[in-house]
Amino acid sequence: MYADLLHALPDVFAWTNFAAVVIGVIAGIVVGAMPGLSATMAISVLVPFTFGLEPLVALGLMAGIYNGAMYGGAIPAVLLRIPGTPAAVATTFDGYPMAQKGEGGFALQVAVVSSSIGGIASAFALMLLAPPLSKVTLLFGPSEVFWVAVFGLASIIFLLGGNPIKGLISACFGVFVSVIGSDPIYGNDRYTFGQLEMLDGIHIVILLVGLYALPPVIDLLETPLKTGVNSSNLGTEPIWKAIPRMKGYWKTWLRGSFIGIWIGILPGAGGSMAAFMSYNEARRASKNPETWGEGEPEGVAAAETANNADTASALIPALTLGIPGTAVAAVMLGGLLVHGLQPGPMLFRDNPDVVFGFMWQFLFGAILLVLLGGSLATNSFARLLNLPRPLLGSVIIVLMLIGVYSIHGRMFDVYLMLGFGAVGWVMDKLKFPLPPVVLGLILGGFAEENLRLALRIGRGDPLVLLQNTTSLVLVALTVAVIIGPTIKQRLAASRKPA
Amino acid sequence: MLTIFKKAAIAGVMTLAAGAALAEGYPEKPIEVIVGYSAGGGTDVMARTTMPFIEKYLGNGASLVVKNVPGASGQIGITEVANAAPDGYTLGTFNLPGMMARTLDREAGYDRDSFTYLANVVNDPNVIVSSKDSGINTMDDLIAAAKENPLAITVGMSSLGGDDHFLLIKLQKMTETEFTIVPFKGSAPARTAVMGGHVAVGIFNVSEVAKFAGELNILGVAQPERSEFAPDAPTFREQGLDLINGSLRGVVAPAGLPDDIAAKLRDAFEKAAQDPEFVKAMADTANPVAVVTGQEFRELTDSLYDLAKEAWETTPWN
Repeated sequence: MYADLLHALPDVFAWTNFAAVVIGVIAGIVVGAMPGLSATMAISVLVPFTFGLEPLVALGLMAGIYNGAMYGGAIPAVLLRIPGTPAAVATTFDGYPMAQKGEGGFALQVAVVSSSIGGIASAFALMLLAPPLSKVTLLFGPSEVFWVAVFGLASIIFLLGGNPIKGLISACFGVFVSVIGSDPIYGNDRYTFGQLEMLDGIHIVILLVGLYALPPVIDLLETPLKTGVNSSNLGTEPIWKAIPRMKGYWKTWLRGSFIGIWIGILPGAGGSMAAFMSYNEARRASKNPETWGEGEPEGVAAAETANNADTASALIPALTLGIPGTAVAAVMLGGLLVHGLQPGPMLFRDNPDVVFGFMWQFLFGAILLVLLGGSLATNSFARLLNLPRPLLGSVIIVLMLIGVYSIHGRMFDVYLMLGFGAVGWVMDKLKFPLPPVVLGLILGGFAEENLRLALRIGRGDPLVLLQNTTSLVLVALTVAVIIGPTIKQRLAASRKPA
Repeated sequence: MLTIFKKAAIAGVMTLAAGAALAEGYPEKPIEVIVGYSAGGGTDVMARTTMPFIEKYLGNGASLVVKNVPGASGQIGITEVANAAPDGYTLGTFNLPGMMARTLDREAGYDRDSFTYLANVVNDPNVIVSSKDSGINTMDDLIAAAKENPLAITVGMSSLGGDDHFLLIKLQKMTETEFTIVPFKGSAPARTAVMGGHVAVGIFNVSEVAKFAGELNILGVAQPERSEFAPDAPTFREQGLDLINGSLRGVVAPAGLPDDIAAKLRDAFEKAAQDPEFVKAMADTANPVAVVTGQEFRELTDSLYDLAKEAWETTPWN
């Protein structure tokens, strides 16, 4: 199997495929650097345009964008204390204080090197874990897949932080959208209002573009350009001089990589949670925790390693079980399906060159980060923050409209996307989290279909859902996710008086 | 009155004349072939593999352009074909028994008479498979197990109301057995469930399981002769069960297509069927070719409609 990995390598270096990764990384950094624009948004706007491309060109673009955006988010996080993507929130804690001390350039270099290391670790995890795990997936029948979906929904609702009630409402909205269309077993119409266009349900990209791209663009146009960044006084030195200053961070890099990979594999959780966890763990392990929050470069390293380390690993459940754990993985899975790559045990046998090529592209995307995001380029990327907003906003809107129209070639989808955009904008203003909507749509469909299949197999006996170890383990994990935070709070509260 | 008749007669003659003239120069512009599924699916591959050969045999520098109109299991595309002008410049792919079953289980925007039947191209026979370690190795094993414990045997398939389902209905009637149907969403997850032992057996088309000889037993093939894609697998007939069933993919035009244009198109399909290059291209894409044109294709459609209707009336699936 690992021989296939090497066999796929030459194709990755075909110039079109390699150029796709380079362009993807650059585009990703740009998108990530724009506050509000996220990797999810960029990839969902891109997917419809990749239908006609060679698989590795399309997938290389996506892998590049994902890696690039996860680092790009650090640029405004450090310079303006505005996280460019949700995953870069933890980067602001020490990144911005560093910039105020005149060490903004070094902060960005720590960010780019850490991002790259996280991304490389994640790509290796994907290469090494996905092929053997894809064989284990035969153990996952309908009842097990049902529990994976329930576990994913529970994690996104309870672990996302903030308000679980709002998370639950968002997830329910997503699950509701998943029931639209024909019934998965009997084929009856549900909530289609006689529209033939609705019979297949709501295409995930339509929802994603509406929810993730429209509200930030409106925001972008609403808020005037904040502070201009004077990129000449970032205090950057050449990256080869900066790297030796980071040699003490290897433990943080290692820890951040493991946390990021693990969080990525779990369905539901994503980059921002990985970054927070990694930051907290690194601070706890630090000899001088009092410097954290005051401009400790290691804090930037912890956050940026972890938010890149979940990128490729988030694809492990998507490629093996067909269950995407994050919104980005869901869009990427959509891109894979378009190119005829069916997730599951057959994927690595039927299309080894494309799948392994895609994994290599993740690895090279991560390596390219250092080269493209290195000292010189960082200055120019920082200048992007001064781009005129109306120009940017209108370009994105046009791309959104064309992209959504081209999925099925019909205006109906465009109106639907604009409708979701309006809903997303209101939800954003009321502080309802958006990721549970997307995962509700994806996992809700999986949960329903597999619950019903499992019950048919058990001829109506619900005990069929608890009949084997895999199911029981998943149930235990779900319960832990739901009651875990409460218990932790209680414990903390009971310790305080003592 | 008379003038109206006269006018009608003149108009008729003119139409015929125009029709003849039409066929002579046909096609004088690109022909659109509507595929009701996304690019890359089985029906799309059939269309894209076939069309270059139809171009070759139509002559006149013919150009056939595939247009994917996916959605609602092919409903949106085929409805567009039914409503198009019958001028020979809009054709569409046609799947049996699915397209007929949809006229029964929902309100469809077309019926059997909405089309001019050109040619069926592919006939992909059904197979019943079990996993290698299921203990079910022959049809006799399967039927014995089903008789011993009715409904205990689970059967995975890609959907209800499709060819897989109709094969099972025929089998149940023929052998007086009852199975529990587990309709997955598509054949790939159903196949994985059979391999993982989550369902006892599965019903597929031979092209969907030909590559899995190492993991799956083919218990029987539902066509008169053994399939070239699985030469070691016995037919149902060899085992004393008269089961013939499959998934058919062909090409139709809107009803009312002028006869001479229809004849020209049918002729192109018949010639393509004899072309060794075409046969090879289809075999390479795992498409068992069975070209049937014109009236015969229409009769095939009628017989599958009757089968679907009978199944729908006795055991409705929604």
